[in-house]
Amino acid sequence: MGTASELLEHTAEVKLRVRAPSFGELAAEAGRAVARIELGRVPPHAEGPWRELEIGSADREALLVDWLNELIFFAETERWVATEFEVQSATDTLLRVRARGAIVEEAPARIKAATFHGLRIVAVPGGLQAEVIFDV
Amino acid sequence: MSAVQAVSHGQLWYEIPATARADMLVSARVYADAELWSQISRDRSIDQLMNVATLRGIVRCAYGMPDMHEGYGFPVGGVAAMRASDGVISPGGVGYDINCGVRLLVSELEEAAVRPRLKELVHELSRSIPSGTGRGGRLSLSDAELDRVLGEGCRYLLEREFATLDDLDVTEANGRLGRADPGAVSQRAKARGRDQLGTLGSGNHFLEVEIVEQILDPASARVYGLEPGRVAVLIHTGSRGLGHQVCTDYVRVMDQVMPKYGITLPDRELACAPFASPEGQRYFGAMCAAANFAWSNRQTITHRVREVFGRYYGDAGRLRLIYDVAHNMAKLEEHDGELLCVHRKGATRSFGPSHPETPARYRSAGQPVFIPGSMGTRSYVLAGADDGLALSFGSSCHGAGRAMSRHAAKRTRPGHEVRRELEQQGIAVACPSSGELAEEAPFAYKDVERVVDVVHRAGLACKVARLRPIGVVKG
Repeated sequence: MGTASELLEHTAEVKLRVRAPSFGELAAEAGRAVARIELGRVPPHAEGPWRELEIGSADREALLVDWLNELIFFAETERWVATEFEVQSATDTLLRVRARGAIVEEAPARIKAATFHGLRIVAVPGGLQAEVIFDV
Repeated sequence: MSAVQAVSHGQLWYEIPATARADMLVSARVYADAELWSQISRDRSIDQLMNVATLRGIVRCAYGMPDMHEGYGFPVGGVAAMRASDGVISPGGVGYDINCGVRLLVSELEEAAVRPRLKELVHELSRSIPSGTGRGGRLSLSDAELDRVLGEGCRYLLEREFATLDDLDVTEANGRLGRADPGAVSQRAKARGRDQLGTLGSGNHFLEVEIVEQILDPASARVYGLEPGRVAVLIHTGSRGLGHQVCTDYVRVMDQVMPKYGITLPDRELACAPFASPEGQRYFGAMCAAANFAWSNRQTITHRVREVFGRYYGDAGRLRLIYDVAHNMAKLEEHDGELLCVHRKGATRSFGPSHPETPARYRSAGQPVFIPGSMGTRSYVLAGADDGLALSFGSSCHGAGRAMSRHAAKRTRPGHEVRRELEQQGIAVACPSSGELAEEAPFAYKDVERVVDVVHRAGLACKVARLRPIGVVKG
């Protein structure tokens, strides 16, 4: 199984489905999707130094939400949109990732937050699948 | 779509009994006629309202407004009140855009006075009020100034001469919630909001130039000072990134402490804690601070709009604030002799003439309520009704309510066509993103006339006036 993401229908918000072979790759693919949603286009090439990110949460679902909210925070406050990810380690409660991205001209804040609503990370043939709803 | 059976009550509301699901503590009631009920039933909003009915300490009913649609946690257009003594407070019941709300300003100008330079005016409003996502405004705040905004709300803006005493008198809670605790707002939230005071934001936020098209209740219109033909301005925005981060922070906190309080939920986004608990109180303090930020944001935008109108029209362009009302908030209110934490998510407070929080000058009419239509369609001014307290804790709807996903709206008609159609109707548009214009197109929303009609007939609020847009500024 490769990694993939797609946007699903939701009356008011943005709903994302992600598939990947492992939880670490799932988080990375969801991160790339956040960049596309934030910018509304193909993100620019990553440049500049790598940044070390570490997130700790109560469980895997919370970890995914917290991870995405971390990326949303950086995008809005630093205009830094992360697009390349190297997962260093991923457990059910800790995610360590090296990330690289681009500084964009205007701080994107299309996404208010990643939510827990309807969030499930489930095993599918060849890997994992998650659906996340973003408040926009 | 929910498979639940609901009992219809005279084309005014549908009731789902508490027995419909084992975990429901109270019934769920949706104010809707058959057509709106049919639209509402197409997404998950009824299931979401039933989830709300399971929250600890909820009293009477979980209410859905006629514009209800699927959200996350609470449905958008959901109202629920929990006992302050032993009930919960839920950040998801307020939403990420804390104190998103609407205010209406009215001038003494007639349409003929603004029509010749309308495009220029709308462009100038767009230039003066940053509307795009995350873009900072012109009012950057130091740490101390930001804390004053969070603690004092619009009162602080009096000092900056961005507000008048008259403005505060006709702002819900006078633009300041006294329980605000700036210390409960994280540094992350402050970083997101620091340079966003005076900005519209994205999504469905907007600034519209309107014409008072028709007076529907002359007596109440007189009380509000609304006259047909006058130019008005409607502003819809909230607490921007600061509020978003406050919600993010406290959903996380609540999610972690629920086991301590023995709380289990059908949806994790409803994460909550007892209102009286340290976590509940801390969130309430942070939420109140974010609400103060939102009122200050709309007030700062008002100041900018007044500057623009002053440059264009001099004294004739003076804009008087009719009212400012929140629609994403949890507030402590007394109902039926009990202190309740009333959550309104995408729902407007609509107190009647007798309520002590209705401004004295509006006591013969009721608190003004604004129901913006979708972009390019009519908006309504209503008056809160005393009967609304028993019907919905004094709440009404907050807009037309989405009926179509953003994706579907974009597929239905591209943004440039939406822009052309609006311009053909004589509406000047300033929106840098055609995509966002398509997402907010009128066909993506329910019929506002039908929504307002149900509100009026059900007795939640009474129609006063109808507004027609002639200019739209969007993020």
